[in-house]
Amino acid sequence: MDALPVSGWIKDQLQALQDFVLLLAQAFSNIFRRPFYYDDVLLQMDTIGFGSLPIVILTGFFTGAVMALQLSSTLAQYGQIERTGELVSISLVRELGPVLSSLMVAGRNASGMASELGSMLVTEQLDAMRALGTDPLKKLVTPRLLATMIMNFFLTIVADLCGIFGGYVYSALAIGLDSRQFWSSAFYALDFHDLVQGLTKPVIFGIIVALVGCYYGLKARGGTQGVGRATTQSVVAASLLVIMSDFVISRAVITFLGK
Amino acid sequence: MGSSLQLTPTAAPPQDRREPPVIRFEEVRLSFERQALLDGVSFQVRKGATKVLLGEASSGKTTLLKLALGLVRPDSGRIWVCGAEVSCLPESELFELRRHIGIVFQESALFDSLSVRENVAFRLLEEQRYDDAEIERRVRTALSFVELEEAIDKMPADLSGGMKRRVSIARALISEPEVMLYDSPTGGLDPITSTTIMELIVKLRDVNRVTALLVTHRLQDAYFLATHAWNAGANQAQPAPEAARFTSFLLLRQGRVIFDGAGSDLLASPDEYVHTYLS
Ligand SMILES: Nc1ncnc2c1ncn2[C@@H]1O[C@H](COP(=O)(O)OP(=O)(O)OP(=O)(O)O)[C@@H](O)[C@H]1O
Ligand SMILES: [Mg+2]
Repeated sequence: MDALPVSGWIKDQLQALQDFVLLLAQAFSNIFRRPFYYDDVLLQMDTIGFGSLPIVILTGFFTGAVMALQLSSTLAQYGQIERTGELVSISLVRELGPVLSSLMVAGRNASGMASELGSMLVTEQLDAMRALGTDPLKKLVTPRLLATMIMNFFLTIVADLCGIFGGYVYSALAIGLDSRQFWSSAFYALDFHDLVQGLTKPVIFGIIVALVGCYYGLKARGGTQGVGRATTQSVVAASLLVIMSDFVISRAVITFLGK
Repeated sequence: MGSSLQLTPTAAPPQDRREPPVIRFEEVRLSFERQALLDGVSFQVRKGATKVLLGEASSGKTTLLKLALGLVRPDSGRIWVCGAEVSCLPESELFELRRHIGIVFQESALFDSLSVRENVAFRLLEEQRYDDAEIERRVRTALSFVELEEAIDKMPADLSGGMKRRVSIARALISEPEVMLYDSPTGGLDPITSTTIMELIVKLRDVNRVTALLVTHRLQDAYFLATHAWNAGANQAQPAPEAARFTSFLLLRQGRVIFDGAGSDLLASPDEYVHTYLS
């Protein structure tokens, strides 16, 4: 039984899942335990939040513009081109804003966390930290988790607004839609459920991105080469998990909130 | 010269059987990936004594130090340090115990995102018990102890290997630990820097009565420890026969202790491997 490569693989995956869940539990329980690392949280918020701002603004803007471009030509066939703003804003707020900003944060920060923690691990800095009486999970993982959750929330709002603005710019310049009509249809289209969904997702995705990044960093093996590998894997895994959990959350919202 | 030797007057000789050992390993076993690394290691170190750990590369010396700190857990066997059973304490309580233990890692393991000042102050900053002025004072004292006060504002990347090693000694010393674990503190260093570091270690042993485990590949360092004591009057380590009482040797081979005792016995040992190792 033991010799089967498949059973070994399954065992490894289950072990990895268990380690991940354990990391999640510890990182969260540390939020409520002293000492609390305010400075480290602020520092991480700065790197994650302000560092990611330019790319989130640009991605949001162009995604909104391209949505307006594609949707308006389809809507024109049904004679409903004036609903462009409505569709752009709904798809951005519900799906694209949270997913895109999380993917950008995954690309920039999950990799950064994996490589930073990974190199600290292989150069024994994490052992040194434990030896000096400080829990690396508390000092390193929990601040990254909190900062990513908080900043991804705000980055998503920025992405949403920039996207709608991008859609507006395209609609106004290329299609010649009336600007008051665009903005009012964009805002009145959104209801409470859209906002709940659109603002819960970035928090959950933030948790995924931060923990996946830290997890791969803490699992890095085999010197600097291993750190490089862990970095790449963390981005791939974080992006996949964001997109897959997006489906699950959207489905759950429809089931439980009926929309 | 014995009269100018300034050992702490209360220093009891390490042979004193009434005092419990500060570090004690009992039948410690550990394997990595099914390969036995330590196979029943037992030894003890008394208050104020230094045990020199010898052995070939990858014989498990570094791992032994990590076991003493609870950074690695044994598969079986028991380990006591400063009266606490490290091998069964939960991690949360180990953090408390580790405040009494300093360690100098083989590759220094300085935090490269922090300056020398922040590295050395790390433990004090974490404890949040002292104000900034007190922390600054202590950092400067620790750095001047290793003669590196001028490097206080540098980043670890800008230091040489020997300087990193000395900063890491200062970092371990800041909280005045009762136990020090040195992992090859002179590895890859020039003879002059090595001597400076060995003198520091002798000073800590004789002035502060620090109990220590010291891993080294350089036998001359081990003999320096066994033959020199700190002379406060001259402010340097000087030859002193008393030093042998505070220094013992342990030789590891294939996971087992093949020698544990005084330096003179090590030299006189009939064991063939000991001979090959020493020559
Ligand atoms: N976490 C670990 N996982 C797997 N193997 C390990 C681990 N830590 C140590 N080892 C293995 O244990 C062996 C002993 O390592 P250790 O670092 O204790 O040796 P050492 O005596 O300090 O060697 P050196 O004199 O070269 O520093 C090595 O072969 C190493 O590969
Ligand atoms: Mg070693």
